Amino acid sequence: MGCFIDVRNVSKTFRVNKRAAGVAGMVANLVAPKYEKKQAVKDISFSIERGEMVGFIGPNGAGKSTTIKMLSGILYPDEGRLMVNGYIPYKQRKEYVGSIGVVFGQKSQLQWDLPVIDSFELLKAIYRVPEETYRKNLSRFTDMLDMESFLNQPVRQLSLGQRMRADIVAALLHSPEIVFFDEPTIGVDVVGKETIRDFIRELNEEDGVTMIFTTHDMQDIEKTCKRLIIIDEGSKVYDGSLFGIREKYGTTRQLDVEFGSPCQVEPINKVEIRKLDDLSGRRQRFTFENKEVQINELMNYLLAHYDVRDINISEPEIEGIIRKIYNGEAS
Amino acid sequence: MFLKPYFAFAKKSFLGRSAYRFDHFMSILNTCLQIFIFWGIYQALYGGRSEVDGITMTMVSTSFILSMGLKAVFYVDDYFLPSKVWDGSIANEFLRPVSFRGRMLAENIGNAIFNVIFHFLPALLISVLLIGICPPESAGMTVCFLFSTILGYGVLWTISFAVQAAAFWAINIWSLATLKDVLINIFSGTMIPLWFMPEWIYEALKITPFPYIYFTPVQIYLGQLSYTEIAQQCMLQLIWILLIYLLGTLLFKKGQKKLVVQGG
Repeated sequence: MGCFIDVRNVSKTFRVNKRAAGVAGMVANLVAPKYEKKQAVKDISFSIERGEMVGFIGPNGAGKSTTIKMLSGILYPDEGRLMVNGYIPYKQRKEYVGSIGVVFGQKSQLQWDLPVIDSFELLKAIYRVPEETYRKNLSRFTDMLDMESFLNQPVRQLSLGQRMRADIVAALLHSPEIVFFDEPTIGVDVVGKETIRDFIRELNEEDGVTMIFTTHDMQDIEKTCKRLIIIDEGSKVYDGSLFGIREKYGTTRQLDVEFGSPCQVEPINKVEIRKLDDLSGRRQRFTFENKEVQINELMNYLLAHYDVRDINISEPEIEGIIRKIYNGEAS
Repeated sequence: MFLKPYFAFAKKSFLGRSAYRFDHFMSILNTCLQIFIFWGIYQALYGGRSEVDGITMTMVSTSFILSMGLKAVFYVDDYFLPSKVWDGSIANEFLRPVSFRGRMLAENIGNAIFNVIFHFLPALLISVLLIGICPPESAGMTVCFLFSTILGYGVLWTISFAVQAAAFWAINIWSLATLKDVLINIFSGTMIPLWFMPEWIYEALKITPFPYIYFTPVQIYLGQLSYTEIAQQCMLQLIWILLIYLLGTLLFKKGQKKLVVQGG
């Protein structure tokens, strides 16, 4: 207890109708439908402090959105306990949701036929936002996200990037204490993504808004979040800093060495050596486990015994590590 | 201001109605046509007699004009909740710090007010000019009629709400909603005034909610009920509203627990 967001042993199971293909399957399904239980979230626990910015990642169908929907009071957990800001979201929905904002990248909350500004006005009434706060937030956000030009256009005429920006502002007009972003950059171009990331980061740093963020774009996470929670098949597989994930999973290092002349390197214990470019051996890659080989010793050895022109050390990319975790290769 | 968001919803749906003008004029025409057709049928059935079983032709036309007119006012969109479950936008609805039921009701009322002014009144005017209607019995009865009309709307609304809540399980409720409409059309007196129902059916209907939607207000308007009977009938209307609302709420709460948000 005492944490701002506290999730304890939460599980959620959906019943999925299994239906064989074709007419026979259809008839069978009509007479005796078969259901299969799909556990979307399995016994997840974590806690988040006020003002934190946490990235929530996992492959499609891992249970990220389900978790977000439980945290925002839309879905009921089957088991476990959820507490956010002193509220139990699914039980005290109406009181609770006034203090949160949610952006679903795939579901707009704006009125399709109305100009953006009309949707904002309606939200102002729904959330009972005082006139002054509304004006202040609106002018600040539209300025930051560069939205003036399309405030009076109907939502159906907006580009995806514009709509997303409008949706983000819609979720923030009532100055929520916590904001959940469910894939806020989906389908947005590079410039648009950058604008959204800057905006999110500024809001977190300056206003201390607590944020939880799901995405498939690792750039989003690297540029905004300090903390990362990885979910796979409904279970939490990692919870820690972005830096820590390299420590834990990114254990391999690469050393690319360029030699003055083609040469044959003697085999080194526990280091894999591969020739790059061509087979002459001018450029070679040394791959090894961080724990097993000291990088400085390896470099000293190479410098002492061979004619080395250039050395390039590379860390594994986050994206590569995540891929390994998803594939179940990382241990 | 506690009610402020709900006023905003009612206002939105009221204003939204003015967007489709062609559809609106056609719907007035539709109501008038229905009244004329039923009037014509009963005119033929009466075959020139001034009354059948103590019911005059004017009472019959009055009954049709009022119940058809009210039907236009009482229109409740049965697919409001189901469509939101179907496309998953129910998720956004539950993120609002307002009661979903309250919001539904507010939008329906905004719609109903629009219908009273721009649908019921024009249709009433046309029908009165062309067919004629019994004048209101007395000022007191008119007030009772209006009060009972509002309760009748309550009965209809709660029925629709309960049907809509079934969408959490069925997702598509077209057949259920259609069944409901058929039952209401036949047993609430909009197609056959309940005076003409066989005695035993009429008695049986009294223990269903259907007569309390349109027929009770119509009877009050025509001065067929004493003030004591009116009080009784209104009590029954209230009881039905309460019962069906509880049923709907039970379904709604259970449905919310098992909600599956479609798509993403």
